[in-house]
Amino acid sequence: MDLLPPNSELRLSVAQCLRTLAAASTDNTDVTAALRTLHSYLDEGADSRSSSVQRAEFRRAHFTRTLQLLVSNIQADWFHSLTAAQRTELWDGLFLRGPPEQTLLVLMQGIGELRAGTSLNHLVSITERFLHRGRLADLLWSYCLGGAGPSDSPQLRETLLGRIVALPDLTANKLHPNNKPPFLPQQYYPLLATEMLTALERTCQALKDGTDCSLTFVAQTLGKVCIQGHSGLVLAVMAPRLSVCTRSDMVWQRVCWKLLENVPQLCVESVLTGLVQAVAGPEAFGRIVGNLVLTNKKAQFVITHKLLLLQYKYETQVLRIILGYLAADRERRPLLIQVLRSLSQAWANPSAVKHTPLEQQLYVSKALLLSVSLLKDSELQELRSDLLQCMLGGMQSHLDSSVVRIRRMGMVVGECLSSRMNISGTQLKFQYDQDEETRELLSLMTPTTADEAEPLNRVDSPQETSETTPSPQKESSQNKSEPQPSKTDQDSDLDSDDELTPYDMSGDQEISKASPPRYLRDCLEILISSEDPERVELSLRVSEGLVRKNVFTTREISVQMTKVLLHMEDKYSINSFLSLRQATMVALTVTDCIPVTQYLTTEFYSLNYSLRQRLDILEVLALAAQELSKPITEKKDPCMSIAASTDLTPYPGDNPVHWRQEVEKRIQSKTRRLRKGATQPPAKATPNRYAPVAGHFFFPLLRNYDRPQVTFDLLGSDHLVLGRLIHTLGLFMHLAVNAPIAAQMGRALLDFVWAVRYHVDQVVRRGVLFAVCSVFLSVNSQNLLVDLSDQLFETRIWLAGIATGDMAVYFDHRIEAPESSGVPSQLTWHPALPVLAVASNSSTTGGNVDLYLQQGEYVESCHLERPHPPTVLRWHPLKPVLALGWENGEVVLLIHPVGHQTVLPIAHTACITLLEWSGSGSRLVTGDQTGDTWGVSKQDAML
Amino acid sequence: MSRPAPSPFYTLRGAGGPLNTLHFSCHGGDSPLLFSGSGKGAIHIWNLNTRRTEKIVEGHAGSSVIWVSRLQATDTLISSQGRDMQVCLWDLSEGRSEVVDSVWTGSVGFCQCSILETTPRNYLLAFAGQQSEEIKIIELPSKTPVCTLIPDAKLGMVMCIKLWQPNSGAGPLLLAGYEDGSVLLWDVTQRSKLSQAKAHPEPVMCMTFDTKRLRGISGSSEKKLSSWMVDRQNNLQGQLTCLTHPSPVSRSQALTGKIQECVTLVNPGVSQLCIRGDGKLLASAGWDHRVRVFGWKKLRPLAVLQYHTDMVQSVAFSDHQDPKERLLAAGSKDQRISLWSIYNEGADTG
Repeated sequence: MDLLPPNSELRLSVAQCLRTLAAASTDNTDVTAALRTLHSYLDEGADSRSSSVQRAEFRRAHFTRTLQLLVSNIQADWFHSLTAAQRTELWDGLFLRGPPEQTLLVLMQGIGELRAGTSLNHLVSITERFLHRGRLADLLWSYCLGGAGPSDSPQLRETLLGRIVALPDLTANKLHPNNKPPFLPQQYYPLLATEMLTALERTCQALKDGTDCSLTFVAQTLGKVCIQGHSGLVLAVMAPRLSVCTRSDMVWQRVCWKLLENVPQLCVESVLTGLVQAVAGPEAFGRIVGNLVLTNKKAQFVITHKLLLLQYKYETQVLRIILGYLAADRERRPLLIQVLRSLSQAWANPSAVKHTPLEQQLYVSKALLLSVSLLKDSELQELRSDLLQCMLGGMQSHLDSSVVRIRRMGMVVGECLSSRMNISGTQLKFQYDQDEETRELLSLMTPTTADEAEPLNRVDSPQETSETTPSPQKESSQNKSEPQPSKTDQDSDLDSDDELTPYDMSGDQEISKASPPRYLRDCLEILISSEDPERVELSLRVSEGLVRKNVFTTREISVQMTKVLLHMEDKYSINSFLSLRQATMVALTVTDCIPVTQYLTTEFYSLNYSLRQRLDILEVLALAAQELSKPITEKKDPCMSIAASTDLTPYPGDNPVHWRQEVEKRIQSKTRRLRKGATQPPAKATPNRYAPVAGHFFFPLLRNYDRPQVTFDLLGSDHLVLGRLIHTLGLFMHLAVNAPIAAQMGRALLDFVWAVRYHVDQVVRRGVLFAVCSVFLSVNSQNLLVDLSDQLFETRIWLAGIATGDMAVYFDHRIEAPESSGVPSQLTWHPALPVLAVASNSSTTGGNVDLYLQQGEYVESCHLERPHPPTVLRWHPLKPVLALGWENGEVVLLIHPVGHQTVLPIAHTACITLLEWSGSGSRLVTGDQTGDTWGVSKQDAML
Repeated sequence: MSRPAPSPFYTLRGAGGPLNTLHFSCHGGDSPLLFSGSGKGAIHIWNLNTRRTEKIVEGHAGSSVIWVSRLQATDTLISSQGRDMQVCLWDLSEGRSEVVDSVWTGSVGFCQCSILETTPRNYLLAFAGQQSEEIKIIELPSKTPVCTLIPDAKLGMVMCIKLWQPNSGAGPLLLAGYEDGSVLLWDVTQRSKLSQAKAHPEPVMCMTFDTKRLRGISGSSEKKLSSWMVDRQNNLQGQLTCLTHPSPVSRSQALTGKIQECVTLVNPGVSQLCIRGDGKLLASAGWDHRVRVFGWKKLRPLAVLQYHTDMVQSVAFSDHQDPKERLLAAGSKDQRISLWSIYNEGADTG
């Protein structure tokens, strides 16, 4: 009851002032007096006329009202008649010195409501100053003080948070291009971050002084900023500072932990992900976050599951931080074990190997290796069985994959795991090509001791580092400079060897003692029985030449030799063993075709061969077929020429070549060519050695594919071989072009691939596509239509399905657009020809139209540019002519590939909205935006 | 940059046996000659102008001739050493071919003798003695024994020796390579060992020494040539410092022009080394049928001469007075002598 009189007195006086202000009087003295009175309630100095109770009451109950009134009267005459100094002192002062939360709300409201003009500018400048003076920190700090803070209701808080966090958006929405730099997110959020840090620092100070503080509001602000997607900007400022402060100060650590505990559940994820990307290392992360993972379910889920298993966009450093954080503390270590279990399951999961993106698999592999490298030996013992299971299962599914990178990943991870587990002293070792990826994976197993000494130095003692850094350089430079003179002294001798230019010394190879075998049988003998690596190598090296030279001997022992070579292993790790062996086998196949192919094709389906050997068989057959299919020329040149000279007795009047050339010439002269491509003479059909034996290569391989063996299940798990088999068959088909047997082969091949056309493995599907292509290319079109008509129909449907569904697997060409073209707006393919037209708009050049070929090659001659954008593109149904409508009513015909442009004489003045060719392409209809002008033109003349 | 590998200037055939040793004699008044000693015991004297044998001398009763040399001062006398343990002195002047004198060495090894002409009439001959480690030095033509040098430690057979006169004017010194890979420097007048270095893990097969630079090089049955120096300052003590590195210097480093002390060869085994008179080139006769040419200064590999089809056992540079005519001869077990004309273009400097 005691408080009432001062309060009512205050109310009266404030009401009086507000009335004066609202009365819009032009009398300056009244207004200034009223403003001064209001000011006096904010003054905290000793000379203030009001009591502290009155001040508190004014702040609580009347301040907002006062400000609102000021803002609403900003257009009043008295406002304008105030001098600049008065305005700054009396008017602006009220905003900058009162309770910041109320001020901010009023300011934002005012900015939202006012129309653009000087008054808005004034408010904006006040807001700028408000930010500049660190009032945000005051605001946050006032909430930290908890009970002593301003009036608090959930709604008010929510609104306030919204205003604080969304200030850049609010101002940008209102001010558009006139937005001020401090309101831009790039400046505002770092500012907000430093203000939060200031508030935290004050909190620490207060805690040290024994005052209780609440971090809820700061935590809510942080959460809200992060969840709105500004975590990068904010935490980039906060994380390094927090990391440094928490290094030595326990109070800071507690404040940080409390802060993160108080972050609303909804925002925990965004704060943590932001933080984990912003901190320098696991130790810093641990100091800032504390044991939050143990207390907060959400945080635990994010750290141990979401960041590791569900998302995979982060850098390796993030993985290091997360796993290092989990490993660093005794209480968190069970989580590491749990994480390792789930990681190993995820890695080994065969369905994941098949269906998750490669990047994610790489990410999981990295996480797995990192966590394994962090394990202690005792924990490793405990997890041994899990890991072993993971390793065996995972290796299997990785190695089964047809993607090289996945296989390689499996090998690397398997190697690392086995070396870490040290299973009875043995460890896996694979052969794979080292690349950046494998090296990175391997490097993960060696724990990095990347400590944070550097950032510490940078923050704490910049002078020290600046002093110390140059000194090692100096030393090293001294070290370097010292020996140099002595060296030059030695080298300065003029009488050196340099005047003598060396000869080529590449012939200086090591010589081996043994001499190479001279006879094919010796060679075979050595390959079968010799234990001497040098002799084996020599015979392998000479064998191909011997096979090709001694045709008759080869025929006698070809099958035996093929058998030996097929079973031969690289026991002595001979240089280029595989290629030598393959070359010899190819030579054998070529020299003695039928028996060897018979042998190889039977062996392909027989028991007890490794996949490698089966693949070898296919490779050898393919290479041999390729070699055989080369036209027979060089060898028989002399006799051929004799035959030619005898056969072709020149009858001048009856020369078929001459006659054909004449016709050709006439056709040429009558033809007007729109396009002159590279005139390549069509490949002439010449006899080759392959056509007569194509069947021997082809049909035996189709015989037994559906009979699974114990070790070989073509339609089951051995996708790779199946893919290669189909590919090889396709190759045989392709090489058999023009052979009489091609039609039969084509039918058989189509039948065969029909069964596997929807195979799960990409490699197989790709092979099928290749095989089908080669059938179409090799079987001549007449036979194709007559003999294969029923298959053709089905194949067509299937191909159409592939083109829509599976296309991405097969084609990946990037269109290389020229620099000048802007944002593509429309594109359209020619209905019949492989030409793509792309229309694009750009702010600098206006509109462009460019043409591209089917693999994305840019057609330079066909570039159109106008200062206005193109609106409609239509291809001629048959000819390579593109009709183009522009915004200004122009219609242009562009002819590919010459790039000839014809502007149609049609009087459109508005934006062309419609272009349509008639079915045969003889007429073009055009329409524009106004709708009343329609042009119909007969186009023949122009084409 | 690199020129194609060279081919022989011409070849001499018809020696009728493997060629063990070669010796040029080109600065006499008459036509330049090449002496070769064959495994069949014959010494062929080739006329390098006609490229035919001028004379065939057989004096070692069919035993392999392992060393031939010509005395500079008395240009009609040659000396030869055969596996019959004899060193013979021949007088070939005016078409004669008769043995003037012979010395019984008693050595069953393959160690070639070394000769040093002290005065126009007198010369020292060093040869391996009857005992395996023994080196004997006698004065010719008086045949007075000068000394016998036997190392204290057990070093195995003497493999190669080189007698030389240091510029300082002190008594002649002797370099000897032994079976265990050591190279020893002996003072002949003091009859004492001055210094010792372990140049190779295997027997020293051959060595040559540049008396101007006091630098020598030795080869063995391994893939390495080792170069070593006799210290110039401590010449009186005759300090022998072996600069061999334990790790062989690779060829890529050699090409950068760094001074190196070891050369690694592609194939093991060297049977003879020879330095050209102007001290610019070093040639090695390899067991791998190839002759390798190095710059002597930095041991930079310069050329690999491939012609022979069997072990090359001897190399020699000719002592033509006109540098442009200089030749390199290589004698091989395949009974041929190849003659090469290389690195003569910059002859004016040397």
